[in-house]
Amino acid sequence: MTVKSKLVTAVSAIAFTCTAYAAQGEVLFWSTQAKPVEEAQAMREQVLAGFSGGVDYQPNDGGPWITRLNAELSAGSGSIGVLGALHGDYAAMDPENLVDLSDLGVASASDTFNNLAMLGTDTMQYIPWMQASYIMAANREALQYLPADADINALTYDQLIEWAANVHEATGEAKFGFPAGPDGLKHRFFQGYLYPSFTDGVVRTFASDAAVNAWETFARLWEHTNPASTNFSFMQEQLLSGDAWIVFDHTSRLANAFNERPDDFIAFPAPAGPTGRGFMPVLAGVAIPATAPNIDEARALVSYMLEPETQIATLRTTNFFPVVDVELPDDLPPSVQAAGNAIAAMSGSADANPGLLPAGLGDRGGDFNRVFVDSFERIILGGQDIRAVLDDQKTTLAAIMNDTGAPCWAPDAPSDGACPVE
Amino acid sequence: MSETSSNNGARPVGSGAKLVYVSSVVLLCAWVIVPIYFLLINTLSSPETVNSFPKSFFPEFDFGSLHFFAEFSGMITALKNSITVALLTMTMSILIGAPAGYALSRFDFVGKNLFRLLILLTRAFPLPLLALPLAVMFIQTGLDDTTFGLSLVHTTLAIPFSVLITFSLFSGIPLELEEAAWTLGCTRLSAFRKVVLPLILPGITASAIFAFVISWNEVFAAAVLTIENRTLTAFLLQNLGTSPLHLKFAGGFILVMPALIFIFAVRKYLFAMWGIANR
Repeated sequence: MTVKSKLVTAVSAIAFTCTAYAAQGEVLFWSTQAKPVEEAQAMREQVLAGFSGGVDYQPNDGGPWITRLNAELSAGSGSIGVLGALHGDYAAMDPENLVDLSDLGVASASDTFNNLAMLGTDTMQYIPWMQASYIMAANREALQYLPADADINALTYDQLIEWAANVHEATGEAKFGFPAGPDGLKHRFFQGYLYPSFTDGVVRTFASDAAVNAWETFARLWEHTNPASTNFSFMQEQLLSGDAWIVFDHTSRLANAFNERPDDFIAFPAPAGPTGRGFMPVLAGVAIPATAPNIDEARALVSYMLEPETQIATLRTTNFFPVVDVELPDDLPPSVQAAGNAIAAMSGSADANPGLLPAGLGDRGGDFNRVFVDSFERIILGGQDIRAVLDDQKTTLAAIMNDTGAPCWAPDAPSDGACPVE
Repeated sequence: MSETSSNNGARPVGSGAKLVYVSSVVLLCAWVIVPIYFLLINTLSSPETVNSFPKSFFPEFDFGSLHFFAEFSGMITALKNSITVALLTMTMSILIGAPAGYALSRFDFVGKNLFRLLILLTRAFPLPLLALPLAVMFIQTGLDDTTFGLSLVHTTLAIPFSVLITFSLFSGIPLELEEAAWTLGCTRLSAFRKVVLPLILPGITASAIFAFVISWNEVFAAAVLTIENRTLTAFLLQNLGTSPLHLKFAGGFILVMPALIFIFAVRKYLFAMWGIANR
């Protein structure tokens, strides 16, 4: 026996004794969603406790989440049973690494979502799990400064700017809040809200004259935006602290404000521009990695997640809405009621211009977001010329689209082959 | 300092110097204590108080946030794992690092300078880069998801510090001291134990604290390499970033406290290094 082999034996023996304590039989649910401690706790106690097989729910940051998953896939064996993540996370993965779920017999009520979940293949690679969106929220104290002719449920961008300006003038502080911090979801505002509302597109119209107008409008709004916004990532914090009175963010990143002080805040639809009221969904899904230790249990858990009762429990816990048809109960938390009404008003408005999540970009999704974040930083923070910046960023965007061959998604007009940047 | 102030003719200069001395001591203490104090106040405050401004200087003793963590499943196990991993890391990095430091300072061998450089290289690669191949290897060897496996990784991170700290300590102790002990009947080993070791104990403590803190604070490897046996930092830190403010404070407090208690417990060994008598 060489020293090396002795060492390996010893190490394995120690390792074996240590792992012997590990829980047996529970499905490991490896998730990037429901991460905040309170949500994680509620996921364990209220959502997953009803699953007969037992679930070990572990929420993670994106980095460890994908690193661990990749490690298990390359090692060829693993402990992760079920994955929970956003559409974008799955889009960056090789569909070969996910178990086909078409024969499971569950799917969301939306064909659009089900198609997205195929990740460009013929079968379901993940099952849509829950959905959310981005909305606006305001402190009720700001309502007195709302322009006289404005309806809060049908605001335009000009009215929003006027409102923010009124608040700015009255209080002496810029109180519009925008999640432009490092973890803020600012790119989604540009991709799903600003661009569709002004240009009726995202990729095709990236550097159009209408896009210049969009950025000019946003620059006017920025004058009344709290300059500390470049540090804001979860607008519920600034709503609660009073640093911002009018904000834009993801519904689940506003939830605490409504749940802690339901009478102080109001939720309302995103504003409309010349080409309608652009808005965008957020889609999370559940999937099974090819290395799952017990695929039958994992499949049972995926089915369980799509049951109507589980979906309602998930809604209470995470503020993400069901993807299957369910009858919503009356006693939902304030955050869910507020967000639900705002989303309903947004999607039901006459000028609604719904967009889709970027699709077909694979692992270039991050680069795609970068184009919008860079444009924001150069135009708004750096004060560079809008036309010059857009023409410059356009080449990067066109390269991403050509490399991936991703076809256009709504609200861009459909394309043959890669979506062109016009 | 004391000479200046006892000098008869230099009274104004002395008091000026004293003022600078005292105010820099106060400033340095405040630098460390004020953030921890605010952490404590906000931990013991209700969510409304945490979100309000201006902040109170006195805690209102609301235990809601701490109570939440008391019922948060897996906390105690995670705390136990953190302590196990940190202690294992500490022991291993000293057992490996101190002899290496002694060898570097006392013996000449081929490639000594290269070795000193190489030892720093373990810090040159970011963990997110190393974590993937490590995790693959750990899964294949069965080290995956064990406190021992994780402490191996943390030891690798801590070793450069323990080698370099002990190297400079051993270099500071004249070889003549050891030689004198040898002439008085000590063997190489007993001279080390009776003469050198007491002199470098504070330095060993310092590198032990370093190892402990490095292991305690490390998140990425812990989050990737362990699942059931998570450390407290991996278990909590990832989830705190997106949690409401009052829970961030309480969680931060819980993460900081054990490390502070540990440093407090070993502080007398550390103070000895700076020439302050043991207390």
